[in-house]
Amino acid sequence: MESEKTPSFHQRFSELFDAHFQSVYRYLNRVSGDAELAADIAQETFVKLYQRGSVPDTPGAWLISVAMNLFRNAASTRRRRLTLLTPARVEASLGDAPLAPDEALEASYARERVRRALDGMPDRDRDLLLLQAEGFHYREIAVALNLNEASVGVLLARARRAFRKAYEESSDAS
Amino acid sequence: MHLEEEELQRLLDGELTAEAESATRRHLAVCDECRRRVAAAETEIADVGALLRAADSPPPEVRLEALALRGELAKGAVRPRGSPWLRRAATVLVAVGIAGAAYAIPGSPLRAWVHAVVTLGTKETADRGASAPPSSGGTGVSGIAQLPGERLVILFQPGGSGEARVQLSDDPNVEISVRPGAATFASKADYVLIGVRDSTAVFDLRIPLTAPWIEIRSGDERVFLKEGARVASGGITAAAARGYVLHVKL
Repeated sequence: MESEKTPSFHQRFSELFDAHFQSVYRYLNRVSGDAELAADIAQETFVKLYQRGSVPDTPGAWLISVAMNLFRNAASTRRRRLTLLTPARVEASLGDAPLAPDEALEASYARERVRRALDGMPDRDRDLLLLQAEGFHYREIAVALNLNEASVGVLLARARRAFRKAYEESSDAS
Repeated sequence: MHLEEEELQRLLDGELTAEAESATRRHLAVCDECRRRVAAAETEIADVGALLRAADSPPPEVRLEALALRGELAKGAVRPRGSPWLRRAATVLVAVGIAGAAYAIPGSPLRAWVHAVVTLGTKETADRGASAPPSSGGTGVSGIAQLPGERLVILFQPGGSGEARVQLSDDPNVEISVRPGAATFASKADYVLIGVRDSTAVFDLRIPLTAPWIEIRSGDERVFLKEGARVASGGITAAAARGYVLHVKL
């Protein structure tokens, strides 16, 4: 059942923002590898909710579906991937002696490997993985991705294995 | 008869009914092979979760009022008297509109002011005044200079400490300076890595107006981007121009 837009909608909107914004942003950031794009689309998702003027039956699933659609539209016209820290020779360093930046670089490379592994996955597997990581139930995932709910578990297991394999291959290559 | 893959995954993801879960656990109590498979799947789920979290970056700060106003604008019906949020948001919008007109005047001091306020609003920057261009040499300053090439990432590690004053310049080099001992620098062709040793340090960055693409990151967060003739920071995009200083919380 949906509530009409009343003064309490503002309160519900605020509650939904608190409950779901981080999750929507995290999903978008993971799926896009672009924090700025993720922030834009996450905000746009909540603008859509406000524009709707009423609270959906399953707000979390509604929000993530809107976010996914907005991302697909954005990705088709604005495919910007961060290419951070590609190997190259050391050129110049002035002032203080350089710190051994091994740990910071290693963390950055690890993030890059995760990004590459996610980017290399089929869209369906990646969406399965990331939606389940955000706590969505199999039923919600099946609806969002147009899957048979009875096979979500098996598909999810394959997606996890595919991600691990892609990550390890990415590690071997770097 | 062993557990089906679907059953096993549903057990671990909490998707079984209470009755099905009881039956599954009874089977596990007597089946070594399935217990081994469950343990392996648990490890995989934990590993995948840890990897995904390693690639996360903190969410942006967002003003609820701004989202509400955008929602109203999207419907084509802004009614500032409709709610306290909208009244506040409309006030901000009018102020930004007036400031924007003055901002467009060449050499206007409002450039520094607007950027300082924008940064204050979105990043809680403490220092809100414009400053003189940083010294790029001499005693009392350490730093690095580098030709930016097609793309350059300036990465502050760890994120969440210090402050940067970013100024656009006619110099072909990116110049980064700070007081001695506050940071260390390492660079390659397309990035500069800055190890922040002093969380109170203020970095002066001079970014060439001619640089095609320069990004400043604080940890995992992008805090500044110059892309051609545009600069973006704190959710605001503007034309790149010399003569103002952007304060960025790292």
